[in-house]
Amino acid sequence: MRNRPLSRSLLYHAVLCGASLVMLYPLLWMFASSLKPNSEIFSSVALRPEHLDLSAYTRGWTGLQIQFGHFFVNSLVISVLSVIGNVLSCSLTAYAVSRLVFPGRKLCFSLMLGTLMIPYQVTLIPQYILFLHFEWVNTIMPLVVPKFLAADAFFIFLLTQFFRGLPRELDEAAVMDGCSPWRIYWNIILPLSLPALGTAAIFTFIFTWDDFFGPLVYLTDMENFTVQLGLRGFLDSSGQSDWGAMFAMAVLTLAPVLAFFLFFQRTLIQGIATTGMKR
Amino acid sequence: MSTNRRGFLGGTAATLGLAVMPARAQATTRIRSYWWGAKDRADRTNKVAEMYMKANPSVSIVGETLGWGDYWTRLATQAAGRNMADLIQMDYGYIFDYARRHALLPLDGFVGKQLDLGGFTQQSIDGGKVDGKIYGVSLGLNSTSLVYDRAAFEKFGIGLPDWPMSWEELGKRTAVLTKAANRPGYWGMNDAGGSGPALEVWLRERGKQMYTAEGRFGADAADMSDWFGFWQSMRTQGSCLPPEVQALDKSDIDTSGLTTGKSAVSFANSNQLVGYQALNKSRLDIAMYPAGAPGTKSGQYLKPSQMFSIAATTKIAEDTAKLLSYYVADVEAGKVLSVERGIPASKPVRDAIDPSLDDMGKRMSAYIAFISDKVGDLPPPPPRGAGEVLALMVRTNETVGFKKLSVADAGKQFMKDCESILARG
Amino acid sequence: MARRRAKYAGYSFLIPWLVGFFGLTLGPALASLYLSFTHYDLIESPRWAGLANYIRIVSEDAKVGDSVRVTLVYVALSVPLKLGFALAIALILNKGIRGLGVYRALFYLPSLLGASVAIATLWRKVFSGDGLLNHVLAYVGIQGPSWVSDPDHALWTLVALSVWQFGSPMIIFLAGLRQLPQDIFEAAAIDGASARTQFWRITLPMLTPVIFFNLVVQTIDAFKAFTPAFIVSGGTGGPINATLFYTLYLYQEAFGYLRMGYAAALAWLLVLAIMAVTAFAFMTSRSWVHYEE
Repeated sequence: MRNRPLSRSLLYHAVLCGASLVMLYPLLWMFASSLKPNSEIFSSVALRPEHLDLSAYTRGWTGLQIQFGHFFVNSLVISVLSVIGNVLSCSLTAYAVSRLVFPGRKLCFSLMLGTLMIPYQVTLIPQYILFLHFEWVNTIMPLVVPKFLAADAFFIFLLTQFFRGLPRELDEAAVMDGCSPWRIYWNIILPLSLPALGTAAIFTFIFTWDDFFGPLVYLTDMENFTVQLGLRGFLDSSGQSDWGAMFAMAVLTLAPVLAFFLFFQRTLIQGIATTGMKR
Repeated sequence: MSTNRRGFLGGTAATLGLAVMPARAQATTRIRSYWWGAKDRADRTNKVAEMYMKANPSVSIVGETLGWGDYWTRLATQAAGRNMADLIQMDYGYIFDYARRHALLPLDGFVGKQLDLGGFTQQSIDGGKVDGKIYGVSLGLNSTSLVYDRAAFEKFGIGLPDWPMSWEELGKRTAVLTKAANRPGYWGMNDAGGSGPALEVWLRERGKQMYTAEGRFGADAADMSDWFGFWQSMRTQGSCLPPEVQALDKSDIDTSGLTTGKSAVSFANSNQLVGYQALNKSRLDIAMYPAGAPGTKSGQYLKPSQMFSIAATTKIAEDTAKLLSYYVADVEAGKVLSVERGIPASKPVRDAIDPSLDDMGKRMSAYIAFISDKVGDLPPPPPRGAGEVLALMVRTNETVGFKKLSVADAGKQFMKDCESILARG
Repeated sequence: MARRRAKYAGYSFLIPWLVGFFGLTLGPALASLYLSFTHYDLIESPRWAGLANYIRIVSEDAKVGDSVRVTLVYVALSVPLKLGFALAIALILNKGIRGLGVYRALFYLPSLLGASVAIATLWRKVFSGDGLLNHVLAYVGIQGPSWVSDPDHALWTLVALSVWQFGSPMIIFLAGLRQLPQDIFEAAAIDGASARTQFWRITLPMLTPVIFFNLVVQTIDAFKAFTPAFIVSGGTGGPINATLFYTLYLYQEAFGYLRMGYAAALAWLLVLAIMAVTAFAFMTSRSWVHYEE
């Protein structure tokens, strides 16, 4: 397995590099657009700006009433809390429906999947009214609390599928040793599922970071805005917009997600080591 | 950071303060205001809010702002939650929806007291009326206008779009421009066959109207076939963008053919000139829409480009009305707001800011002054469903453009769809 | 007694979910179901309408037909293409080649961009008549149409957008591949099984839970797809309803024309349809998805 022929490896790299270009193009384009004056962004087709103009970055960073860095902090707080909440609550739930036997298990799982199917556009209003009653509007509560309550069935389902793939003998042996379900969950299932948990963490972070609709509806003061709302602050399709500043900040906005991704994808790699050893 | 800034001193204390301690009380009145727009508008609007708070220490104003598209989604959500801001920016296309559903407060009771409309003409007050009551106060006068690339016309010595040129004449000039420029992917003007405002002007110039006072569509299938046929002929003679290019235009400034360098004329609103110029390299100018038969009035009319309304759910109506008044009638506030939302409706404000206007502002101001005696009266208010008819316009025009429907059938099809939309409301 | 407690022990793990489900999710869901039987314009109180919304949807509304057709085509094209792509790339990336981390990040980039306004502008630039794609096609002598704004091709550009953002299923496939026990492969290699045999006999069967997950989730997502059409068509679903996704139509009705009751009815019919498809997937899964037992 180790010594693959060189030609084959070259071929893989050629394919992957070609594909990477297609993947990279939008980022290059965004970056290029952030260096162009507003009057050039839409009219010119060229990637290279005619006049290099870095001012979009300062306009973007300090241009709104609130410094853009503030939005980064807000987004970061929401995203990190969401990751913690989602990984904890969804792994608990997934453990229950995938490894434990209890009456009503199938019903619970069906209900979870059911919530995945309802378009949010129609639950938005009732949910808004509910959160208004809780006095949660214009706070981060509507965005974070549901994450701690396993409200996103996507992640339950994801972890369920991974947990079901783990060998059954592990639990059986542990039960023989007198382990409680909680210990099995904490000492056996979680450590063995690092790739899956890492995946869930990455997705939660990115989905939350990119989420626009939730913040749009719930965060009204600019002081509480997330980066995605902040980006829109530069644009008004009916009037004056600063597209350059928007692109500049959009490029910056990618940095934390990319960093988070690069950091957490290590758990994907570590995951094999663990699984390999245990078996 | 998750502070809920609606402190316990919010609404209740404010109302108490008003009832018990009339003058400067310690309690603060917290006014929420909400408008759409981007940075420049936010800066100006917030500055005025600060000035107001300085003069009225008992008032605190919280500004909320979003871009046009997102604005309405949030407003609808807040309306459903009975949680609208006190002072809300309104658009002519939405005010009827919100006022008739009792989401807005009639302002007639405040006029002459908290709300000073002394400098307003009757017409600009009427622009904010729904079914006889004032629901919105104009933040700026506005009208439809051609925004065009002046340099492109001048370069080839083609007559600039000017009043009173006929619709056919505009077609001729733009066809000449297309030929003269001789660039692949470049045409004289945008295709406005799907534009509701353009249709309205055109209909009024042939003695019809878009909607009757009874809320029915004001034209018939023959009119509509003529309209779609006119644009079909524009396409064949090369005056306007072909359908697959026009379809890239989402009626936004950034997707307009003028901005993307595909055409020289856009059908827009006069207050959008600045927004267009910011995204365009060559020098832009504005002109009136084409005219009807010689000697007749233009189909255009002056309308409020934007309004301020007060939410029906507000608990501090009088304070909000005072703030509204400050925005629209105070000279100092007007100097800060300038013509960013359109030409101020209040004459004293207009006179005060006129000397200090920049080039763009002067041209907008001159435009509104120029058209004032040429335009017609306000049309009857649009019925429920008018917004959906606008979408139908775009779709029908596209269907004709892509040759999936004949011009003759388009009129009939449009009328049929339009009537079912209006019947449903 | 102890047995009984053990029998229900699972519920102690479900406490967060139960609280969330009954406290936050169920109420709004039932409310929207109720609203589907009313006329509700968001501002005035809902008025009971009985089955009127549903009757209109199935018998009178031509746009429903358009949007169902658009959505079905989108599901049928985007799901298999996206999953095939994601699996293929994941398999290549799993070979332990150099620079794996860099590639993985690169391939995930498009998904990071999500549905930002930048994508809308970019898509119009790349897929318009004089866009990047046609410049490339011109090299091989093909003159392409204006993909994104031509009613016959616009949907394809949204399928392309979906396939291009294949990062999420790719990562899930990768995680699945990483979790396969290595000793089985080593044993198979010792037994002389070729790479191909290993793939068909070990990798694929053991990956079926993850494949199944991706299939179900992507299908549900594709049925509910909203943002791509919303941003690229500017919310119109144009040209001529060519990209009028079902949920985009639903959104227009709800927030554009303030007919939330009608939108709720549309939504619940969609839920029924997705339920049927998902149930079908779960039924057939018994014959092809292998779990550790």
